[in-house]
Amino acid sequence: MNENKIAEIRNLVKNYGVKGFQSRVLKGIDLTIFRNDFIAVMGPSGSGKTTLLNILSTLDKPTQGTVILDGQDITRISNRELSKLRRDKIGFIFQDYNLLDTMTLQDNIVLPLSLNGVSPGVCIQKAREMAELFGLGEHLGKYPYQLSGGQKQRGAACRALITDPEIIFADEPTGALDSKAGRELMECFRKVNESGRATILMVTHDPFCASYARDVCLLRDGLITCRLSRGGDRKEFYDRIMDMQASMGGDFS
Amino acid sequence: MTVWKLAWLNFKNGFKNYLSLVISMAFTVLVFMNFQNLIYSEVFQVLGEHNREYIEVLVQVVSFVLACFMFFFTGYATSVFLTRRKKEIGTYVFMGLSNQKIGKLYSIETLFTGLTALGLGIGTGILTAGLFQMILVTLAGLTVEVHFFVSAKPVLVTTVIYLVIYLFFVLKGYANIARSSVLSMISAARQNEYVRQNRLILLVKAVFGCGILGMGYSLAVRRGGPEILGHAFEAVVLVTLGVYLLFGGLIPLCFQTLAENKRFLYQKERILWVNRVIFRMKKNYRTYAIVSVLILCSVTALAMGFAMRERYENIIQFEQVYTFQLLSSRDDLADQAERIIREYTDIQYQGEAPILTLDTSDIVTGDFYNHYAVLPYSAVRKLAGSVSLEWNIPEPGDDEIIRVSRLYLLSLLTDRSGRQVTIGGKVYRQTGETSEPYLGYLQEQVSFYMVSDREYERLRPLGQELYTFNYKISDPAAFQAVKERLGELVDDRDGEYTARVAIDPEKNDLDWVRVLYPFCIFMFLVFLMSSGSMMFMKVYNDAFEERERCRVMGRMGVEESVLGRAIAWELGMAYGLAFLVMAVSSWFSVRALANMMYADLTGVNVVSVLVVFMILLFCYGLSVAVYKRNSR
Repeated sequence: MNENKIAEIRNLVKNYGVKGFQSRVLKGIDLTIFRNDFIAVMGPSGSGKTTLLNILSTLDKPTQGTVILDGQDITRISNRELSKLRRDKIGFIFQDYNLLDTMTLQDNIVLPLSLNGVSPGVCIQKAREMAELFGLGEHLGKYPYQLSGGQKQRGAACRALITDPEIIFADEPTGALDSKAGRELMECFRKVNESGRATILMVTHDPFCASYARDVCLLRDGLITCRLSRGGDRKEFYDRIMDMQASMGGDFS
Repeated sequence: MTVWKLAWLNFKNGFKNYLSLVISMAFTVLVFMNFQNLIYSEVFQVLGEHNREYIEVLVQVVSFVLACFMFFFTGYATSVFLTRRKKEIGTYVFMGLSNQKIGKLYSIETLFTGLTALGLGIGTGILTAGLFQMILVTLAGLTVEVHFFVSAKPVLVTTVIYLVIYLFFVLKGYANIARSSVLSMISAARQNEYVRQNRLILLVKAVFGCGILGMGYSLAVRRGGPEILGHAFEAVVLVTLGVYLLFGGLIPLCFQTLAENKRFLYQKERILWVNRVIFRMKKNYRTYAIVSVLILCSVTALAMGFAMRERYENIIQFEQVYTFQLLSSRDDLADQAERIIREYTDIQYQGEAPILTLDTSDIVTGDFYNHYAVLPYSAVRKLAGSVSLEWNIPEPGDDEIIRVSRLYLLSLLTDRSGRQVTIGGKVYRQTGETSEPYLGYLQEQVSFYMVSDREYERLRPLGQELYTFNYKISDPAAFQAVKERLGELVDDRDGEYTARVAIDPEKNDLDWVRVLYPFCIFMFLVFLMSSGSMMFMKVYNDAFEERERCRVMGRMGVEESVLGRAIAWELGMAYGLAFLVMAVSSWFSVRALANMMYADLTGVNVVSVLVVFMILLFCYGLSVAVYKRNSR
């Protein structure tokens, strides 16, 4: 067992519906995430990608199985502890950015730190650092409505990273972006991952985005049916993902 | 499905959301109906025809104010409701409904709401009519037996007035929706733009706001003559405008400046509530200003009520200080008058004093009376001692004069210091004024000036000296008999002159003033409750807008307690600022009133502000709870 293990998922099952009329969305998933991993989860519609992400990110509870995150089984801890875990150990990036429209970009980025009681000086310094890293240094004083979709999503990434979380969960982060903005965002992800600043688990339907990850897990009918590792070249990895998608069939949109 | 059926379903399913509107509207109906009912009730018959006529005029005036208020309040409530509903029913555009159809849907839904409010208001109005009259009569200190009484006429009048007002706003809403662009109908999810306002514009507004408010305050407390009525009107306009600019300029400017200071801003949940206050202030500053001005009106109304009650009691006491007064050119009437009175009753106290009546051509003063007279200092002091009235007046100098005046219900003459009075060509400086009833009812008829004894002797040749004999009888039942007997002394021949003043201890021609007091308290409560419900309605709707933001923060791991604290701060600022501006402004408005009524209303001011504080605190607590629930 690697001591750099961040999350360990064992026999994860999730049912929806009332007793007697239940449908099983996740059918016993096993997955281990190590520090500095960059995993993309792909799969056809209805395969359980978002359910998996919601459970891992503590937004939903599994029916069965264990999820060990930062040494704690999140299926057994209280809501208060879950909130703390979410605040301190997890970063979120949503498809629709979820920046608060009443705050400037800088305030949005700083929000988790400020709420954690970090001193204003540190907040300001870290916000500037993150913004520079994501090419947003010029836009800190702007409001979300003054930013492009790509800038907003990079802002959301800065907010997710500013607390130095153990892991970042990204739900279709490029879903609302054009290809150029999507590529820029993925480059940023790659950069922070390769610099050792972030462990990322990303759900996406886009093989191009997935090709930026180190590993791709393919989910089908509630089970991880295949796992690919990038190795070297991204383009070659992209081709392999496409081939695998073709061999599996189904609707990946 | 017909538009009517759809509207009914929407109304039925969303009744919880309409509740704040229904309750607020029902409240205005209830208040209006109860006041209308007073006109037709028999509760004030006991005060006699004279008082009843005055009270009817008062009720009509209050009803007019309430109708204006109902118009304004209905307009406000329906516009808040329209903004929200427009976004919700805007999605019908996608189902192919025209703007007119959607407008019709809104109108019918709103009509259901209005009719429910009307029914509820009239129903509770009928149920509480007796209670309302009982409270009114108790507060007025009247001894009347209250019977449950509701006439059909007030119900009809209230229904007609309410429906006319309500339908006007329903049609206005219809026109608004029918003329709306499709984009604005479906803009619910659109991002908020221009959160922060232009600093320069805010600065200009802030400077103008402070200046205008300052001018308003200074005009309100400026003392002077009859021109203060104009000043009071100007002050009302300026303070209202100033408060509006304060919430639209200075306050957002302060918060924006604070938000730019990141070291101040990044202190736990402060980052949340300061930004939210900036955002809300831009959208809600009109409401905050209106609430502030409304509460200011309510505090002033309450102070007016208290002052009126105090003044009424003082006027009665003033008039009743003597039961009989004789004014005569003879100085030997005392024994004869006393003998006559003692035949029927004991004398509680008595006193006499000479007065020097002056011809109007011999005196120049700012008061406009038909009769003027001068009083010698020592005689008035002796009289005060005989009837146990307060005395702390130093003897005036040879060129000084003290005015002995009456009590006014309301006076426009608020500056009496340093005035000059010329008697027989000599100028006297008025060094003081007293409204102690040394000469009772005569003080209401004659303008008296007190001078030193030496000066009185000097002025003696200028006018005619008369003598006053003043008596307070012990047994009010003897009044009529004594009055008739003393009438025998009345004389006006051969240069001799004797007149009699008789004040009936049972006299009640000023009883209508007593009703003013509960009316003012009632207006205070109406304005206050309305202000509270306006804030509450705004908060209720704002909370729905916060849902998405709260959801995002919940997903980020922001704890409920942190969000709760941010909400408490945000709403605390909204309520607190409206309260603060009102409290400061009320000091000026109540002081202006105190000047006009010659009363010390500081205590009333403090108490009413405290009452407002308690009620707003309750509304605040309720708002925080509802906000937390609705934003979840």
